[in-house]
Amino acid sequence: MGGDMVFTKKESSDGRVVIIECPQRVRLDVSSGLRALMKEAVEQKKFMIVIDMDKTGFMDSTGLGALVSQIAVTRSNGGDIRLARVKDPIVKLLGITHLNKIFQCFDSVQSAVESYDN
Amino acid sequence: MDRSRFYMLEPDYERSVFEVPSAIRERIVKKLDCLYGAEIAEGAFRELERLMKVHYAHKPPEMIAREKECLPSERFTEKDIILITYGDLIQGDGAHPLEVLADFADRYLKGGINTFHILPFFPYSSDRGFAVIDFEEVDPHLGSWDNIAVLNERYKLMFDGVFNHVSSKSRWFQEFLDGNPEFQDFFITFSTKNSISADHLKLITRPRVSELLTSFSTLTGRKSVWTTFSPDQIDLNFKNPKVLLKMIDILLFYVRKGADILRLDAVTYMWAELGTSCAHLEQTHLITKLFRDILDAVAPDVAIVTETNVTHDENIRYFGNGSDEAQMVYNFALPPLVLHAFQTGSAAHLTKWAAALEHISDGATYFNFLDSHDGIGVSPIKNILTGEEIDMMALRVLEQGGFISYKDNGDGTVSPYELNVTWYSAINNEESDESDDFQIQRFIASRSIAMVMMGVPGIYLPSLFGSKNDADAVLEKGETRSINRRTYRKEHLYRRLDDRNRPAYKVSRRLGKMILTRIGEKAFHPNADQRVLDLSDTAFALIRTSEDTKEKILAITSIGNGVQDVKVEAREIKGEREITFRDILSGRVFASSAGALSLTLEPYDVLWLKWSG
Repeated sequence: MGGDMVFTKKESSDGRVVIIECPQRVRLDVSSGLRALMKEAVEQKKFMIVIDMDKTGFMDSTGLGALVSQIAVTRSNGGDIRLARVKDPIVKLLGITHLNKIFQCFDSVQSAVESYDN
Repeated sequence: MDRSRFYMLEPDYERSVFEVPSAIRERIVKKLDCLYGAEIAEGAFRELERLMKVHYAHKPPEMIAREKECLPSERFTEKDIILITYGDLIQGDGAHPLEVLADFADRYLKGGINTFHILPFFPYSSDRGFAVIDFEEVDPHLGSWDNIAVLNERYKLMFDGVFNHVSSKSRWFQEFLDGNPEFQDFFITFSTKNSISADHLKLITRPRVSELLTSFSTLTGRKSVWTTFSPDQIDLNFKNPKVLLKMIDILLFYVRKGADILRLDAVTYMWAELGTSCAHLEQTHLITKLFRDILDAVAPDVAIVTETNVTHDENIRYFGNGSDEAQMVYNFALPPLVLHAFQTGSAAHLTKWAAALEHISDGATYFNFLDSHDGIGVSPIKNILTGEEIDMMALRVLEQGGFISYKDNGDGTVSPYELNVTWYSAINNEESDESDDFQIQRFIASRSIAMVMMGVPGIYLPSLFGSKNDADAVLEKGETRSINRRTYRKEHLYRRLDDRNRPAYKVSRRLGKMILTRIGEKAFHPNADQRVLDLSDTAFALIRTSEDTKEKILAITSIGNGVQDVKVEAREIKGEREITFRDILSGRVFASSAGALSLTLEPYDVLWLKWSG
């Protein structure tokens, strides 16, 4: 798997929030990686997740499916999935699918992480 | 050809002309009076009477004779199962989609499904047929009226009466734009988009988030028109009696073209009155009842079904008093409640709601669908589930790969209106490790609930073979409803349906068996008694008793993914003696002991236990 296709997962400094950084393209060949990382976070009882989409310029339906794959379980456990640094093509996609009404989007990863303090 | 089912192409004016029975005349005039006032009502009735006379003159004597024998209580029976489909869901080379549909039906549905709801098959400009350009033509891409007639020789047909609105590309709307005085009152117009006050706007029930008024350039300047659903769907102005008469003319035309059931689409919004919610107003009910009066007079075997995606209480108001409005009402609360039961593993809400369902009358019943071309509406259960429960149900649908459509609440907020997902995907997660067989069993279990409940069951064609989400189509078409509107190549679909190892084969055969079993049971007649039992939180159960009380079926559906024991108490089955029950789906036999019946249910087990009363 090339570097531009890898998801990276880290935690906020206080360890409460899981931050997943997405690659340039999130499509069929890689979206299972995102799905797996989110599932892993939930299994570790980490229900506050931030998806950093700074690099992401393309996403297909499998990528969108992965983004929402843990939305009910995180919210029912007091957490959420929040997006940071979302680029225009993805904003458009979220609009078409009405997922813009589900996801809170933030300009920076830090503000997305801090939003869980409120 | 059964001549008693088909209208003559030309009217026969040699016969004596139809006379409107005085009781019906009185009912019609009274309604017209309420809608338009006495003076206009008189003229409107004269035109209506003419339309009815013309319609009646198209009836062959065999039809008139047959109609005299028809019993309202037998309009719908256990043999009725409605297949909901677009005309072009299955496509093949060298044949119109309606011909392909007939071929599919002959090959896979014969002897089972007896009624087709072919979604709007008219020329249209958007909303997959629900923005009708010409009400009286068949979309040439689908076929012709001849193709409709061929289907009608073998099946009962349900036509859409998309009477709330027309396409912005229709001739009627073009005449309006062109300044034709005849069409100036055909639509609800305002001088500007801001003509409706914020207070009034807030009151108006909106099924969409689009703007209520859409501005158009006309010969006489800019005008804003009422568009409940989209800028391309222009609401008709039923305050203009000419609009009502035109739609009645079309309604009777559909009957002559073979409609056995008329589905009144979006009837909720048919009458708009500023200062009100503009939804299911009294005038809307009056118009629906007027349609019923007219059909009672000249086409008494044709039924009206209302499509009103509103709360359950408001929905069933379209039954009127049980004999003066719709003969069938979409049971809109059923799909989200069944979905909720399977999502949560708790049948509590479903059981409580079903136990309270009333038998409306021997001439009116529920349309028990789980899925259709639209999504799973959640408005109908807003007084049954809490807001939090509905929100969580919607989020679970997202997790299953579905989407949510929203409606405008009028106060700057939006809330879920419907869940866009195929039924198979709604209750089965494609990413799970479960086997196909296990997921198929869960799917069949969910479908069994609609099959056994009081009413007429409906199935959306893609569910016949367990269709999954088409999320790519959503992105391609920019429309979340596309997730459940995939079209199929005939050859490919037939291969899947004929291959014993494919899930499509397994789903279709198991559903087919369920359908064939159902249609042979008097206890599943819509008028057969229904008693819902509360056996367990993880099972849905009811007893149906045939009208002659001789046959009973205890239908139990496990909605849990584990094995469970349930006990049916003696008082429920009046089991003073030992009773032998036969599962009419599997042939298994069970016996009660000491009056009660103890059963072990496998995950998503379905039992239809029959015994003699």
